[in-house]
Amino acid sequence: MAMKKKRYALVLDSRKCINCKACVVACKAENQVPVGNTRNWINEARQGEYPKLRIDFEPEQCHHCEHPSCARVCPTGATWMRKDGIVLVNYDDCIGCRYCMVACPYDARYFHEESGTVHKCTLCSHRVDKGDLPACVETCPSKVRVFGDLEDPTSRVHELLATRRYRVKEPQTGNGPQLYYLL
Amino acid sequence: MHEFNWGLLIVVYLFLGGLSAGLFFAAGLANYLEVDGQPAYPRVARMGALLAPWPVAIGSALLILDLGNWWRFYKLFVHFRWESPMSIGSYLLMLFTGIAFVYAFAWLPEDWRQRLFSKVPPTWKQVHRLNVDISAHRKLIAMVGFPFSIGVGIYTGVLLGAVSARPFWNTNLVAQMFLFSALSSGAAALLLAMVLDKREPIQTHETKFLITLDIVFIVLELFIILPYIIHGQLSVLAVKQALWLILGGPYTVVFWVFFLGLGLLVPLGIEVSELAPSLFKGKAFHGDRRLALVASSLVLLGGFLLRYIFVYAGQVSSFHRMGMLQ
Repeated sequence: MAMKKKRYALVLDSRKCINCKACVVACKAENQVPVGNTRNWINEARQGEYPKLRIDFEPEQCHHCEHPSCARVCPTGATWMRKDGIVLVNYDDCIGCRYCMVACPYDARYFHEESGTVHKCTLCSHRVDKGDLPACVETCPSKVRVFGDLEDPTSRVHELLATRRYRVKEPQTGNGPQLYYLL
Repeated sequence: MHEFNWGLLIVVYLFLGGLSAGLFFAAGLANYLEVDGQPAYPRVARMGALLAPWPVAIGSALLILDLGNWWRFYKLFVHFRWESPMSIGSYLLMLFTGIAFVYAFAWLPEDWRQRLFSKVPPTWKQVHRLNVDISAHRKLIAMVGFPFSIGVGIYTGVLLGAVSARPFWNTNLVAQMFLFSALSSGAAALLLAMVLDKREPIQTHETKFLITLDIVFIVLELFIILPYIIHGQLSVLAVKQALWLILGGPYTVVFWVFFLGLGLLVPLGIEVSELAPSLFKGKAFHGDRRLALVASSLVLLGGFLLRYIFVYAGQVSSFHRMGMLQ
């Protein structure tokens, strides 16, 4: 039987985010992210003035784009996209030119000083391949993050995107970002 | 604050790569020009040919040193990715450097060549087989090299222009801007080198040729920079916001005063005022040595600053960060 096509994505219900940064910490621990770098982060947007004001939290990380500009500009093909949509860096082929960092519209990559290569969110592909959830998804206490396969009609992400309104960030870059923010 | 992933080494490399392209182009052109069947500017052609390979060789070395893993640079040449400007550029750069060295070798005076090979141990027979006079093929090598020099000049711009995430770069004018800036830097560097060469003082007709060449390239560059700004202002919000970096933002003074003023308009003014009397009033061209020195140095400064502004301002520009900056 032929393998069914997969397309992993994250759906984020950012209104539930309380800015506890557990996802950031979990990611750092899971992926040994050096001090000073992050693979995921939380944007804060303030609006209004006291007493009429609000603050929004919005988790962000690599968008695992449909047409990743980082992979396009990579001169050695070190950045590549798996068949299931996860964009990864092959560290053995990365020469550390940082063209991908310049080309990423979301500034989602960082330079790993120790190895001289560029690192980024892997969507915890090592966990996903074992059937587990990415570390940030598993740890989120307010259930902001939903991970799943967009091609699977029974998945929660599929259901959310079918029934809820959502947006993606900066679609005008043409990258086809795959982090879906519920409205 | 936004981090700069590409720093001064990249600026210097982009400048040196363009400089070599310009030197090769000017030298090759001088090689082709003849008056009454005699080469018109043989000394310009030789000086340019001998200088051309060095900046790009140094620049490429800097580029390799800037890598996170410099010893992995060979991986650039075991992959070919036509979608990546850097991949295409690496091959282009390597081929151009090779051609520029061959061209320099073709212009090496006989005694220099013999002295060079006398340093090679006599047992290295294969190396000594390279001790041949290829000066008869200068024109052919120059013709082969022209497209590569233009390619390198354009490539330094395309490297930045192809990045859709950076609105400051992502216009179809950056490539031409860098090309003309490179060609003008090349002509200016050649003028500077000829003026500084005390053993064989520069002759008036050579100064006139190089100044004319430089005026043409500077004017072409201006014709690109003006539409770049005007079009950008009339473009979508992200591009308009990116242009704020040089229209009120942190790079305004360096762009308008030091690049456009000192690096472009002042040398253009000097060169035009030198050339105009002989062009329009039929007076003899004098070619003041000090003025040529000042003008060519300023053009080189301008070429460097253009790359500096673009590399840094371009990295600040983005689709989502501009709001925070302002």
